[in-house]
Amino acid sequence: MKLSSLKGQTALAAALMTLTIAGSAQAETPSWCGPNKASLALLDGYGGNSWRLVTTASGAAEAALCPSITDYQYADGQGNTQKAISDIKGMAAKGVNALVVFGDAGPAVLPALKSAFGAGAVVVPYRVVVGGEEGKDYTKFVGSSFVDDGISWGNWIKSILPDGGNVLFLSGPAGNSQGTDELAGMKQILDDKYVFINPAPFDVTNWDPALTQQVLSAEIAKNEKIDVIVSDFGPSLVGALATFAKFNRSIPAIATSDGNSLGCFWEDNHEANPDFKLFTVATGNDNVRLAVQWAVAAATGGTPPADKIFKAPVFEDSVSGKPSAVQCRKDLPGSIYLSAVMSGDDQAKAVNK
Amino acid sequence: MSASPPSSFPTSVKALPRGLAKGFVTVVVAMVILVVLCLSFAPSSISAGALAGSLPFASVLAIVGLGQMLVVQQGGFDLSVAGGVSLSVVLVTHYPAGDDAQLLPAILIALACALVIGVINSLLVGYLRLNAIVATIGVNALIYGGVFAVSGGVPRITTSLLASIAGGNHFGIGNAVVFALFALIVVAVAMKKTTLGRRFEAVGASPPLAATIGLSVRRYQMMAYVSAQLLYCLAGILIAGLTTQPTAFQGDPLLLPSVAVVVLGGTSLLGGRGFPVSTVIAALFLNQLSQFAYAVGVPYSAQTIIQALALGFGIGIHSIRLPNKNKKLTKQSNPEETNETFVS
Repeated sequence: MKLSSLKGQTALAAALMTLTIAGSAQAETPSWCGPNKASLALLDGYGGNSWRLVTTASGAAEAALCPSITDYQYADGQGNTQKAISDIKGMAAKGVNALVVFGDAGPAVLPALKSAFGAGAVVVPYRVVVGGEEGKDYTKFVGSSFVDDGISWGNWIKSILPDGGNVLFLSGPAGNSQGTDELAGMKQILDDKYVFINPAPFDVTNWDPALTQQVLSAEIAKNEKIDVIVSDFGPSLVGALATFAKFNRSIPAIATSDGNSLGCFWEDNHEANPDFKLFTVATGNDNVRLAVQWAVAAATGGTPPADKIFKAPVFEDSVSGKPSAVQCRKDLPGSIYLSAVMSGDDQAKAVNK
Repeated sequence: MSASPPSSFPTSVKALPRGLAKGFVTVVVAMVILVVLCLSFAPSSISAGALAGSLPFASVLAIVGLGQMLVVQQGGFDLSVAGGVSLSVVLVTHYPAGDDAQLLPAILIALACALVIGVINSLLVGYLRLNAIVATIGVNALIYGGVFAVSGGVPRITTSLLASIAGGNHFGIGNAVVFALFALIVVAVAMKKTTLGRRFEAVGASPPLAATIGLSVRRYQMMAYVSAQLLYCLAGILIAGLTTQPTAFQGDPLLLPSVAVVVLGGTSLLGGRGFPVSTVIAALFLNQLSQFAYAVGVPYSAQTIIQALALGFGIGIHSIRLPNKNKKLTKQSNPEETNETFVS
């Protein structure tokens, strides 16, 4: 197997791929892996956080399960839309057969995707909506159901607060579609007894821990009763939750996405905070695995997977302990995600390289 | 005054208390109005708990603002503030990787890096005569290269020792606030009560004149850029402690506010006198304005508009010059126009 790299991260991905291939050489080839040889590229719009590092490593590991993939490459757009577009066009020009694209810039990358698709490449954008049509502008879009996340949170909130309560919802940048979809999901479950005390549709945090802390301080001061906090990026709450102690109040129930730092924070603090219940959905690193499966199936002539959309499974529930009690691995970095298929130790290697 | 001999410095200094009064009074009046508004419409925003939550971030902004002020006093702009803060954040989180014992070496490494960056900035601006904006934005890109090299764009979790130092309290006052007060006292005393500080301001007010009387302009510019980076480094260390799981780009949101607090504090963008106390009050003002907007619960779009309007008002008020009987005299001794004459 020939491996090449565009960025430093690829070294790790390549190592993981080699290791996985060594281990899986005798394993059964998955049905989505067809007989035709093909090359695959994973293109990130922005690769600079631990979530992306784990996701990239997960994508490489998934591709490594298919022996028909002869070459794997990775490119990081570094948050620069121009570079992301150039990366997509560059990979297509080099004759890479299948492109799996995290289109952070949204519809801005659509013309580049369309051009690569027109040139004969299999193009699978995932997670971020890029517009366009399947079969015309790209092969397949593998989205993530943020509405389902909202529904999972809503059901849990209803179970712990059957008589209603005050909900504080924090999301990322103003107007981001993830936050609005999650809110739509929650509103399917929660009726008027549940009052959203944040400015509609959500408190803007830009997923920045410093801003999260400032926003949360203001909300705690303003609202004497917060029954549950919903956030779509759990680890960014860790620094902010200590603010409750400054008000001599218990941390309330939290419905969010998982992260090792958050699990360990719950473990250290739930006894001193009687209201601190925790419920998480998987942060969704494995969305990339489904996208890789679709791309490989199309490029190698395999059977496409049954799932067309990634549904983040419920991960931890401190109340029922199902499907899992709150997990904490203090021996591993806080910035890993124990919900991911990739083992915690492998993730630690990815984020600590 | 452009043709004045060096002996005219005292005249210039005598005229400056008016500037001090105006900058200080403006920002204090704005702060008082804001506090009254908070008391009337959003009392929760000035409750003890809210202040305990928000003052540490105001302290970080105050420290960054003090650094930017020093550079602005020398007629420069330091756009490497974002990189300087971010590098400090990743250095003090990456190297210790949760181990308290490694924290001190990491802080020393961060301070050494800040020193080197400050020297590079001052060499580019002072010796190679590059435009400060161009030089520091280039250095900022270089620093971000360092941020990626160190961390891959991903800082690690803060050590518990740093979290307790930055986020802890003593006698009900946040440690971050104590650090900001310490920085303010050092900057203010060094600038206002020492010969070095008085010369620093004189050089900023008029580099050619300062050179004429034998002061090394480059040396004072170097002092400004190096001190600024050390202050950014301190701010970065505090952010790393306050946020527990910071990003690698934690300095980015501080760039514009760092200039805003300097201008709101009354320091002229053309250089000269600095107003450390006013700058710190301006940082409190901007922070409280955000808290007010959050507490009132206005939509995010309105929050940014309110902040922009307040900022525009604060900056605009410095350009309003009331009619003055001594208009002619005032005009003659106006330090900004004097600078323009020298710069041109």
